[in-house]
Amino acid sequence: MSGMSGISVENLTKRFKDETVLDGVSFDVPKGGTLVLFGSSGAGKTVLLRCIAGAIEPEGGIVRIDGQDLHDVAPEKRGIGMAFQNFALFPHMSAFENIAAPLRARRTRKAELKAGVEGVAKLLKIDHVLGHAPKALSNGQKQRTALARALAAEPGVLLLDDPLRNVDAKLRFEMRLELPRLLAGRGATVIYVTQDYKEAMALGDRIAVLDGGKIVQMGTPEDIYRRPASMGIARLFGDPTINLLDVVPENGGGGIIARLSDHAVPLSPGLEAAVGRNCVLGIRPEAMAFSDDGDGVPVTIEAETPLNEKTVTLAKTMRGRELLVSRPAGTPAPVSGAAHVVIDASDVILFDRTTGARIAPDLADAEAAA
Amino acid sequence: MEHTSPLERWLRGIALTVIVLFFMFPIFWIVLMSLQTNETILRSPPSMVFMPTLQNYQAIIAGRLDSNVASMSIEFMGNLFNSIILSVGSVALALVLGVPAAYAFARHKFRGSEDIAFTLLSFRFAPPLLVLLPLTMYFQQLGLADTYIGLIWVYQLICLPLILWIVRGYFEDIPVDVEHAYRIAGHSWLSTFRKIALPLAGPGIAAAGLLAFIFAWNNFIFALVLASADKQPVTVGALAFVTASGIQYGQIAAAVVMSIAPTLALALYAQRYLVEGLSLGAVKG
Amino acid sequence: MTTADPTDPPPRRASFSRRALPYLLSLPALLVCIGILVPFFTAVWYSLQRYRLSQPWAQKFNWGENYLNFLSDPDFWNTLKVSLLYAGLTVVLELLLGLAIALLLQRRSRVNNFISIMLLMPLMTAPALAALMFKLMTNANFGILSYFAQSLGFEDFRWGSDPSSALLTVVIVDIWVYTPFIMILLLAGLRSLPTQPFEAAALDGVPRFQQFWRITLPMLMPYILTASLFRLLDSIQQFDIIYAMTQGGPGDTLMVFQVEAYLNFFQSTNIGRSAALMMILWAITFVLSNIFIKNWLRLRERARGEI
Repeated sequence: MSGMSGISVENLTKRFKDETVLDGVSFDVPKGGTLVLFGSSGAGKTVLLRCIAGAIEPEGGIVRIDGQDLHDVAPEKRGIGMAFQNFALFPHMSAFENIAAPLRARRTRKAELKAGVEGVAKLLKIDHVLGHAPKALSNGQKQRTALARALAAEPGVLLLDDPLRNVDAKLRFEMRLELPRLLAGRGATVIYVTQDYKEAMALGDRIAVLDGGKIVQMGTPEDIYRRPASMGIARLFGDPTINLLDVVPENGGGGIIARLSDHAVPLSPGLEAAVGRNCVLGIRPEAMAFSDDGDGVPVTIEAETPLNEKTVTLAKTMRGRELLVSRPAGTPAPVSGAAHVVIDASDVILFDRTTGARIAPDLADAEAAA
Repeated sequence: MEHTSPLERWLRGIALTVIVLFFMFPIFWIVLMSLQTNETILRSPPSMVFMPTLQNYQAIIAGRLDSNVASMSIEFMGNLFNSIILSVGSVALALVLGVPAAYAFARHKFRGSEDIAFTLLSFRFAPPLLVLLPLTMYFQQLGLADTYIGLIWVYQLICLPLILWIVRGYFEDIPVDVEHAYRIAGHSWLSTFRKIALPLAGPGIAAAGLLAFIFAWNNFIFALVLASADKQPVTVGALAFVTASGIQYGQIAAAVVMSIAPTLALALYAQRYLVEGLSLGAVKG
Repeated sequence: MTTADPTDPPPRRASFSRRALPYLLSLPALLVCIGILVPFFTAVWYSLQRYRLSQPWAQKFNWGENYLNFLSDPDFWNTLKVSLLYAGLTVVLELLLGLAIALLLQRRSRVNNFISIMLLMPLMTAPALAALMFKLMTNANFGILSYFAQSLGFEDFRWGSDPSSALLTVVIVDIWVYTPFIMILLLAGLRSLPTQPFEAAALDGVPRFQQFWRITLPMLMPYILTASLFRLLDSIQQFDIIYAMTQGGPGDTLMVFQVEAYLNFFQSTNIGRSAALMMILWAITFVLSNIFIKNWLRLRERARGEI
């Protein structure tokens, strides 16, 4: 257990007055790996980071870095670099001094310090504004100064608290490409917090989804995207959000099916247990396509709208249920009016209607059925 | 909203003139008196045209008044000195005690912190004699009767609550994350206090100090009750001066002018902060 | 994912020095609190005794008798009356005048700024010295104000020396010193008011007086309350001005609480009565200050939130 992991959090609990913000959170981040902490606001991500950094004392649980219990270790001795959501730059110091702070704390010699600061500033392309005070910097420059400060002393652990949140969309997109490069070269163990699922998918080896103070799912981006543990999680990952339709699976067509517009949509083998249960069918808008040749689920097209790089079509099933279908912008529109939508069984996710939890295909049953 | 008729502007102008006259006149008049000889003062009707003289100030500063009747020594410079010692000393002590405490109250909401803060604030509104009168009895026993230290300690009742409440507000205004960032970067809490919290709260600390100085300087009742004869500040001294010097009105006026000059000057210098300070932060200046 | 081993030791709390730090930092403030309590309880102690320094042998506990005696003591009622009258007059007059000045100076302009700075000066004057200044100005022989009074036809107007005009005189001094305080507070309040309601009202053709009465005044209420309570608390315990002016005289026309207590203590050396009097004043100010603090905290939150 110890000595292996970069960061290890065990059963962390934190309460503010009557509210339990963190409820027994546990996870490991291997040395040099990147974990993305994902969740909506109020889920407890920031509190969690602060507990690891030592800025807040948890009520219970253990935080370890490289196997060492950090309980009595003051924040300044933990060897962490942290970048804050609202930058938290020192307003009365220049950008240079801001970035130099961790190096000064380690009593770095003057020449080395200068080289260190300028080096990381150059990396982040802010070397030309080093002499400015924070209020003279643009948001993008502030964000990069905050990042530079976190990176300057080459800490073993990096905690990045939604650093791209307060930055405009264009810069956010650029940084989303740059950051992995930046972080890769340094070998630090990274925890990255974000509310943006695209960022999460782009940056993390693994994603931990935090909700109500608990980790509700942890896995690779692919895991979370294709096999979300609950409807809530499925909704968070995807834009436009996943289509969720109430169905009751039946036997039919040589396997299990669900009915949409009275059309039988085949479900993956192994879901026998779901037959007859109240379920919810989850299909991502990008997982559907309009078919040219009359087979698929019959729908009527209601409206279309561009969304970033996609075009989203609002369609209605025969029973009046709404379906969002997206396709890359520029691909041809379906023939209007009545149309058919093709759905692949492997793209369909089935949830239990009462608990909201995903119903995983039972592979043993699948084999039996095959 | 700005369609004021000329009549309105006229009336407003008159009203403001009357108001400014009312509030400025006494100061103006006392300065005038301080530059007049006794004869000029006693002349009736009072005149604004006269030969100004500095003899009143000279007499006070020199410490003696020679008249054709007798020579009298004037102790007023001693009072001035006492005021300086007491005010500067009290504020200095209050800052040393109060600023760290304000930081503790701002950053660590520990059990009882709100109660202590409230209690201290309520001291500001409690009748001073309640505490001063028993203290006269204790002062003798404690050996504080004829000391500056005793007075400076009691003056904390005036200065500490002020410093605490104003400076706490300024510390609270510093985003916690900025301090966290400094600590996580590798600095101790003391370093954070010295390099981040203090500089960022600097203006507030200065404002609080200034205000505390003004209140300490202007204080009358504390000194009246507890200060021994040679430790009296100008407020008590000026009044005693009246009784002692009897008819030397010019010098009384000069003494008053010298007594109010420091606080008036400070007020002009620091007026930006006074609004916030006076309302204990309820109103931003 | 690791799970917590039940045999792990329970989480330790932060080291002692880290926990003790806030208490250590505020220790001096705490000490002052405690230090004040000693004389306070001494005062309570003495207020329950019959104790005159001139008759030390007669010192004994008479419990609430000092307080009960007040009920039938004309001097006490006089003290109460004068104190309330003084407080009432000063607060009301200062509020009206302060509000008027604030309204006149509302618009930000160089002239207005200059005037408000000038008007700070009386506030920065020591009240005792202000009283002294007015005492000189109202001197029967050479005082400029006596001269003015004379030219206006008030023959022999004796200002502070006359029972019928003594209260007026000290009230004027108080107004001179403290109106700027109210003015500053209300001016800051006025300037912090949002402009939209006024713009909307102007567009709707609402007359200015109505705008004042129905928009300005209600929005200004918290500031008015804060300022009034603040001044009320100070006025009812006024000592400096009255003592410097007349020492409570002529006779006992100006015997407010603290002056009376002071004289009881030092002149008549009636420790017991003096202490009891102070306890009553303290009780009044305690109740008032609690109301004030709640009000003021709300105002502070609002000022915070707007930044």
